[in-house]
Amino acid sequence: MAKDAVGYALSSLNKLASSGVLDRIGLRKFVERMAYTLTKTGFRVITTSARTFKASKKLDKPERLTAPGHTTDLFDLNITEEQQMIRDSVQAFARDMLRPAGEKADMASATSDETLAAALELGLNFFAVPESLGGAAGERSTVTGMLVAEDLAHGDMGQAVAILAPIGVANALTAWGSADQQARYLPAFTEDKPPKAAIAVAEPSPLFDPAQLATTASKDGDDYVLNGKKSLVPLAAEAELFLVAAQTDDGPAVFIVEGGTAGLSCGEDPTMGIRAAGCRPLLLENVRVPASNRLGDTDFDYRAFIDLGTLAWCALAIGACQGVMDYVIPYCNERKAFGEPISYRQAVAFIIADMAIEIDSMRMLTYRAACRAEQGKSFQREAYLARTLVKDKAMKIGTDGVQLLGGHGFTHEYPVERWYRDLRVLGVAFGGLHL
Amino acid sequence: MKVLVPIKRVVDYNVKVRVKADNSGVELANVKMAMNPFCEIAVEEAVRLKEKGVVTEIVAVTIGSKAAQEQLRTAMALGADRSILIETEEDAQPLAIAKALKAIVEKEQPQLVILGKQAIDGDNSQTGQMLAALTGMGQGTFASEVVVDGDKVKVTREVDGGFQTVELKLPAVITTDLRLNEPRYASLPNIMKAKKKPLDTVSAADLGVDFAPRTKTLKVEAPAARSAGIKVASVEELVSKLKNEAKVI
Repeated sequence: MAKDAVGYALSSLNKLASSGVLDRIGLRKFVERMAYTLTKTGFRVITTSARTFKASKKLDKPERLTAPGHTTDLFDLNITEEQQMIRDSVQAFARDMLRPAGEKADMASATSDETLAAALELGLNFFAVPESLGGAAGERSTVTGMLVAEDLAHGDMGQAVAILAPIGVANALTAWGSADQQARYLPAFTEDKPPKAAIAVAEPSPLFDPAQLATTASKDGDDYVLNGKKSLVPLAAEAELFLVAAQTDDGPAVFIVEGGTAGLSCGEDPTMGIRAAGCRPLLLENVRVPASNRLGDTDFDYRAFIDLGTLAWCALAIGACQGVMDYVIPYCNERKAFGEPISYRQAVAFIIADMAIEIDSMRMLTYRAACRAEQGKSFQREAYLARTLVKDKAMKIGTDGVQLLGGHGFTHEYPVERWYRDLRVLGVAFGGLHL
Repeated sequence: MKVLVPIKRVVDYNVKVRVKADNSGVELANVKMAMNPFCEIAVEEAVRLKEKGVVTEIVAVTIGSKAAQEQLRTAMALGADRSILIETEEDAQPLAIAKALKAIVEKEQPQLVILGKQAIDGDNSQTGQMLAALTGMGQGTFASEVVVDGDKVKVTREVDGGFQTVELKLPAVITTDLRLNEPRYASLPNIMKAKKKPLDTVSAADLGVDFAPRTKTLKVEAPAARSAGIKVASVEELVSKLKNEAKVI
């Protein structure tokens, strides 16, 4: 109806407006304005449909939706009060002890005994050993382990690897060791001087695949004889206990090898980053271990063993990346160029924003995998998603950290070049650790 | 011997605090809270006395909201045996705190009360002294060394220009200075054990303490930003500027 009325009126007005009569009687302006106003208000009316809203009920206050009363155990991002306290303690340690010692440990290619002794006070090793064997672990704590790794690496990644490598061995023994293996090796981890230990998985072969190992373990009577070369083994020169992955007739397996076993030696091949972890090649020449030293019984899950190591590296990388971001933000806010902080430049600000997004993404994927692992659910897919993302982004954040500091970033005077070197390990990391 | 260690929940010392937009105080929303560093030193000293066999029980106490339980758990993770939360939603001032602590002292009868010399939020440095005055106990403040000897305690105090050693008869109140000790990190097993240690809650009202504030904060302001300095070319220029512009010489 309205449209029709407006339409008729407009068409007649338009007819009138286009006729020459208006000019003669001086009414053109008036008619034109009428046509304009009518068009505007007329069409406004017709685009608004009519509906009457009525209050069906009187509200005293606005209704808001609350958080659901339940949490989904599958993926709950809240950490417990204890986990928060553990983080507080570990963060303080990382800030006060690891960060200041980072440069020296890197130069020395070793973590100082003083730092390792201080780390023992945190009692991380007790957390890897069940209560019945003198430890303090009552249940699986993959997520807590991940948080600890992240916080230690925020202080310094290399030293964090040195601290966590023995704990990884204890974790693996707790997860899969046979009763005899646990009774023999685990109690030592709760002593005043726990053994230095590490896991050896990676090998210096192109396109290394942990499922296809070049290191072999061949059965010889009641023993296994191990031959091969392992790379990137933390604490290799001083460890008293190794878990070595090797190929057997029935697929890859892991063997407990005590330091000092005949045929076991350590090469010299200093690494680019995480130097404080003392990573070196481990050489095995006819290393003979009893068959009872093959890790685990029938329930041993080699894939999970590898994946938990992967997650440990992811957690370390996240902590180190967070360290980079926490360092570059104040730097970019204070460093001035062209009369203003460089963070005012979008080219700078966008890099930092990307860092924040990527760190949180890495964290989400890794948390999820760790969370599933803790609950005994399958987590291989999640672990590989995490690894793939972390591998890319951690190395990128390392590079960006150096780039944001410009010329300073390239010098030893600032820690970002060290962090860049540390984060490069994500490209090659396999084994060494275990959550 | 029983030791009472009053502690306080404050903004973590690593946090750069911001003044609220309405100047009524410091922004506390979404800010990390922690135990006051001087209180950590107090807990550590009590734990060390326990490790030496001088002390048999350490009781941590704090006044504040339910959230302050976190700091009591931390104190227990560091070595306190049990703890008491005096629950109040009000912002307790030193005198009220000292009165509430007096009530706890009367109930617990500790031989030593060790507390931080001040909290890094209000920087009042009053509670320990007030508690000593209210209970009639001797006080050794700003302690840099504490030696318990029988029914006496020797406290070396940091005073302007040196050290002063005082001998107090037990029971006594000691407030800790920065150099007394270096607090340990809470170990993971102890953090787990802390969960099982007893934490009692009493309401501030039950203690019969008047929490009404005696002072009023009118305005909180951030310190003025320091303006950039200038470089002078010579000593003469410096002297002339100090004389004529700054008018300090």
